[in-house]
Order: sequence, then C-alpha cells, then structure tokens
Amino acid sequence: MTAGSERRRQLRPGLWETVNERYPGAMISKTDTVPLARLDKPLADARLTFISSAGVQPKGTLPFDVVHPVGDYTFRRVPSDASPSDLEIHQLKYPTDGANRDLNVIFPIERLQALAADGLVGGLTSSFFSFIGYNMDVKRLEATLAEDIADAVVADHAEIALLAPA
Amino acid sequence: MSLDYLNDAVARGDNEALIRYVRLHVGDGDDQQGRTEIDKAWVQALKVLLDVPPTDRQFIVDTLANKDQATLAHLFFSLHFHLVNASGEWIHDGRL
Repeated sequence: MTAGSERRRQLRPGLWETVNERYPGAMISKTDTVPLARLDKPLADARLTFISSAGVQPKGTLPFDVVHPVGDYTFRRVPSDASPSDLEIHQLKYPTDGANRDLNVIFPIERLQALAADGLVGGLTSSFFSFIGYNMDVKRLEATLAEDIADAVVADHAEIALLAPA
Repeated sequence: MSLDYLNDAVARGDNEALIRYVRLHVGDGDDQQGRTEIDKAWVQALKVLLDVPPTDRQFIVDTLANKDQATLAHLFFSLHFHLVNASGEWIHDGRL
C-alpha cells in the first residue's frame, strides 16, 4: 500500500495538521497516520464498546485525579448495563451541568443499551471505558493509557469501538 | 501546553512559564482567573486558622517527615482545590 492510498483510508485525512494549526504549541506533534480497520460483518452482528474521555465512573470507585497538573493516566471500566444513577462524573475541565441532569448527553449509555436491545448493533461489551482528557504527557498517554484501554477492549471482545471526546 | 514545553521551561529556568501553566490549570485556562484562584485558596486557609482551632500537628509533622516530595506536591495541588471548594466560590463545572 502506498502512502497516498494509506492517507485516503484515513477517516479524516489531515487531522493532525488541522489540530496543530488550530492549537499551535499544543501537545499533539504526530505526523503519522492512524490505521483504520474495516468492519467485516454487519453492524447488527457486531459487538460494540464505548470509550469516552468524559471522566464518567461507577460511584464508589477511586475518583479520577482531576487536580494533578500533568494528568491522570488511568481508566475506569463502566458496566455497559449500568444505570446513569450508578455513575458519576469526576472532571473539572468541561461544563458538566447538562451531563449531571442527563448523563446520556456526554456518555450515551442508555442510547447504546437501546441500540443493542433493538438489534441495531449486535450487542455491547460487558464494560465501557472512561478516562479524563486532561493529560499533558502525550507520550505517556499513548504508551500507557491508550495501550491499556486497547488491551482491555480486545479482551472484552469488542468488534466496534465508538470513541467520544468530552 | 505539552509536557515537553514544561520540561524545556525547567531546563532554561523559565519559572514564569511554569507558574503561568499552574495558573492556567487552576484557572481553567484563564491566566487571570488562576491568580484569583490561588489567592482564594490562601485566603480560605487563613480564615479557618484565625480562631486557632485545634489541629493535628503530629499528622502534619509526620506527613512532612515521612512522605516523598512527589506525594507532598500532589497533596499541595489537592489542598488548593479542596480549599477553593471549601470557600464556596467554586468556578469549576465538575467536581473533585
């Protein structure tokens, strides 16, 4: 595969250039592309997982570290059959008023449960995955948090991953 | 700002860049608000000590003597947000 054809396979060619243009001096300095995997089965047969930077976590679990100046590189598993009332948000860096009234606006767990119940997707992984987006060490982010979540997603037999920033 | 930016600032002794980063962190991206937040935490700490209430001095002595500098620095940031929260003037949208 040529570099040109690889670039055309990107969900959004030029993404990193756009980010760096808009946020000069920001943490992102990547110039490489992101390989995408094609879905090899109908959506209705595929098991979906959800990955979010919203800082959503089950009540009673160790709160995300929102005070550390360089960030928190851990993630929490959120049971995909959880109710919004079982969950809470620990995050300071985005407006949470709306999400505290209806968690689905930032972490659409009930919408995804409904999609699975209606058969639009083949099912949900047992866990969804959540972390906070305030992480200033991009190398650590890639080497630890991203890899840890990727391993967990694979172990959970996910066939589609829906990623949503907060 | 990236960690590389901060490490470069440390290497060249640019403390203004470092404290500005702290102000942006505690001020949710607003430099001037960060100054206000830092002042707010100190004022709150002073207020609760004005009546000279009993405090666990032994805990403080033991903590400072026995905990590593990274844990103490982490505690310092935690105390900042805790005191600001206790002041009742919470600018942040989320919670600790």
